[in-house]
Amino acid sequence: MNLKEYIESGVLESYLMGELSEEEMKEVDRIVVEHSIVREELEKIRANLNVYAAATGKQPGEEVLQKVFSALNDESKAVQSPAFQAQTLRHKVHKFPTWRVAATVLLLISLIFNLYFFYELEDSKEQIESLVSDRIALSERAESTARELDLAELRIAHFLNEDNIHVRMDGSDISPQSFANVFWNKRTNAVFISVDNLPEPPHGHQYQLWAIKPGQPPIDAGIFDHNDRVQKLKVIRGQVEAFAVTLEKLGGTQNATVEKTYVKGFLQKS
Amino acid sequence: MSSQTQYITQGKSIEKRVVQLLYERNKKAIELIFEHYGAVLLNIILRVVKDRSIAQDTLQEALLKIWKKGQSYKAEHGSLFTWLTAICRNAAIDKTKTKDFKLTEKSNASPDLVSISEAVAQEEQTDQQYVRQLIDQLPPVQRKLIDLAYFQGYTQQEIAECLDMPLGTVKTRIRLAIKHLRSII
Repeated sequence: MNLKEYIESGVLESYLMGELSEEEMKEVDRIVVEHSIVREELEKIRANLNVYAAATGKQPGEEVLQKVFSALNDESKAVQSPAFQAQTLRHKVHKFPTWRVAATVLLLISLIFNLYFFYELEDSKEQIESLVSDRIALSERAESTARELDLAELRIAHFLNEDNIHVRMDGSDISPQSFANVFWNKRTNAVFISVDNLPEPPHGHQYQLWAIKPGQPPIDAGIFDHNDRVQKLKVIRGQVEAFAVTLEKLGGTQNATVEKTYVKGFLQKS
Repeated sequence: MSSQTQYITQGKSIEKRVVQLLYERNKKAIELIFEHYGAVLLNIILRVVKDRSIAQDTLQEALLKIWKKGQSYKAEHGSLFTWLTAICRNAAIDKTKTKDFKLTEKSNASPDLVSISEAVAQEEQTDQQYVRQLIDQLPPVQRKLIDLAYFQGYTQQEIAECLDMPLGTVKTRIRLAIKHLRSII
């Protein structure tokens, strides 16, 4: 490269003028690095321009530099204050170390789970109680059903027993809805009553069964609990015409209160 | 030591000194850039923004960017001046995109070439008065060319148009003006 020609081309003046693109400037930079004579020429031009600027007042105003330094000082102050904040923050962090925060969080979680399981347990207890009571009710119902079944079977057995004479007693005028059945065993003469529909006796009273023979006062066939559906009462022999139930004082009586006859039935004449 | 000698002797090592100071995060770097490159950088900004006051504001912003980016400068990518020029150009282009600039641009729609070129500095220092007297020896056309090309932000094309000269002649005359300047100071 002819360096003299290169310098004379005015490219260095253009370079300092800002006339060249960045790529063109970098090309000049490469040549400047390689050739000290070009570098010296460039530096001379720049220096001369600075002398000219200084002498003719063409340099940028000193206030530009002052503003830059003032901005830099503000910046360094601004940089300091976050540091103070960070220190304060670190101080605060020391007051509440991470493990404490973590422990608190764990404690809270634990409390929440405890409460949850407590209520779950309470629920379970209630469920168990309810199940137990259901089971008791069911078992009671089963027992009662079994008893009913036993009684029903017993009644069927009495009905089907060929030795038994069956007497249906219907409601009298004082209790037309009532009815009951009597089974009288011809072989053993035992009397059984089936309490089918008799009103709850008033306090201090109970029902009593009577065997009625022609021309005789009613013969006591036994007192009974109206809650027990089928009961074996007394043994009655002889020519019985009918059976009847009267309401008597608790413990029964020898003489039937005929006007308190609830049900009555006659034997079928064979 | 005269101003000329000072600039020239420091000039040889000024780039290395500035780069070193930038790496060290020493604010002296900005001071040296302002002193040794400030005038040419202001001109490069002025070529874009066309207003001296806005150009000075932009130079201020560019110097702050230079300070912030200082440690990212790499000599293998080009000279310090090329790097500084790129930052200043970008800052100037950014400036032209601001609202304030667009408002100012309207009011300065037709800059008066002659009045700009004849602006005279005030409060000159004594040692520079001597240099000023030397510069006054330059023919007025050469002074005007130097002013327009290096201190008032005119491109060579714009100068050619304003002074009604061919572009090639402008280039040659600027080169001659600089040579002449060097011979008298």
